[in-house]
Amino acid sequence: MAQILLVDDDLGFLEATTELLELLQHTVVSASTVEQAQRAASGRSFDHVILDLIMPDGSGLHVLDSIKNRDQTRVTLVTGHPSVKSIVKDLYGPNISYLIKPIDLAQLQSLFEADDDVGEADAALHFGHLVGESAPMQKLYQMIERVSQTKANVLLMGESGVGKEVVASAIHAASKPKGAFVPANCGAFARDLISSELFGHEKGAFTGATHRKAGVFELAHEGTLFLDEVTEMPIDQQPNLLRVLETHKVTRLGATSAIDVDCRVVSATNRSEMDIAEQGCLREDLYFRLAVFPIHIPPLRQRPDDIPMLIEFFLAGFNRQYKASIAIDPKDLARLQAYDWPGNVRELRHAVHRAFIMADPETQMLVLPDDLSSPFSKVGDNKNAGITVGKTVEDVERELIESTLEHLGGDKKKAAEMLGVSLKTLYNRLNSYSEQ
Amino acid sequence: MSSDTQRLLHDVRNPLNNISVNAELGKLTLERTGDTDKATAIFERILQECRRCDTVLSELRDQLSHEQSANGTDAGDNA
Repeated sequence: MAQILLVDDDLGFLEATTELLELLQHTVVSASTVEQAQRAASGRSFDHVILDLIMPDGSGLHVLDSIKNRDQTRVTLVTGHPSVKSIVKDLYGPNISYLIKPIDLAQLQSLFEADDDVGEADAALHFGHLVGESAPMQKLYQMIERVSQTKANVLLMGESGVGKEVVASAIHAASKPKGAFVPANCGAFARDLISSELFGHEKGAFTGATHRKAGVFELAHEGTLFLDEVTEMPIDQQPNLLRVLETHKVTRLGATSAIDVDCRVVSATNRSEMDIAEQGCLREDLYFRLAVFPIHIPPLRQRPDDIPMLIEFFLAGFNRQYKASIAIDPKDLARLQAYDWPGNVRELRHAVHRAFIMADPETQMLVLPDDLSSPFSKVGDNKNAGITVGKTVEDVERELIESTLEHLGGDKKKAAEMLGVSLKTLYNRLNSYSEQ
Repeated sequence: MSSDTQRLLHDVRNPLNNISVNAELGKLTLERTGDTDKATAIFERILQECRRCDTVLSELRDQLSHEQSANGTDAGDNA
């Protein structure tokens, strides 16, 4: 069973094909204009998009930009001319199939045959988005399950690259809401446009407001609004956000009346609760509104058992996208599993993608670089660390112990092993620091 | 071939395509659900698409005979 977006301006074709695909047990969203399709697709995931290339209001390919999981979506173009194939292939890569008119059942079914193994891989996804079976992830799934039964706002915390937006999508999927998933990045808004982006504006509300625009709150009505990097929002703008969260009403800039909005707000930050409180980047009242249910997403190094599964997932995606069948050598897999991934799942995906591009065409195996570490690696983060003249041996030792512990997520047993000291020695040192 | 003729040749594919998709839909509906009311409605769509096909083919015939007679006049002038 696939999730399909069908876009064609011929209403007769649209209706019959939708019914046909539904009879074949697929879920179909249909649209007869590019605009309608973009609205339907916004922030949603589809396995397949079946498109008419030439639509009255523009190219059908514009729809693809609105789809969330563009990498994993298979695109099929409906065309009357087989010659279109070669032209489009050059423009949009090989991951495109074709339905040549007149279309029959065999043609339609052939689109989904190749999907069978994909279906199995996707079945392993939790809430349609998350990969991993480790204990920290099981805990996370349990929390998602619980919170999805409620309307509570969620604050996601975790290091950069742990997949906060993916977890937000999972919460959205688990809640089965009527509305859409609308992601917005608070750090990316221009300072003077934040209110307009969040709450929308009426035509003529300010210089440059040539059209009426709905804000992200309105778009997420009856759905989920994902506010990424919420702690980067200027402090003087935060009371406006707080008001909407308290009243469940937004007023577009320049409008005279308010609109009711009912959506779950999932916000995210890579700062810790301690940082948020100490650095004052979030107003206290806003924090309590956003973090009704805080969730910590574990860094990848705390769940190394999930690494092979994640690699398999990314590799399957790239193989599908490029119609390839690249595999990974068990030795390389062990190397990837041993690395500590300071950039988390994002860094892992990037490494697999790079190794996929470098793959040996003869052996059909991934080729890893000699050095896995990224320029953003944690080692460089701690500017105070390291040996400089003037530091005492005790200071250096303390720094070494503290960074090792931080790196291992506080696991003292592992830290003692890594430092080559007994657990007892480590405890003695830590006790002496706390006495100081 | 004129651009009008090419357009008509392209246009005739659309009703033909809808006949094909609806015929498959009708077959599958009867096989899987046995819903004859639904099947009747689908046959009605097929007939409608046949009429649409006929309209385009008539236009195409007119267009071709128009082109032919235009070509005939040209040939006469040259001779």
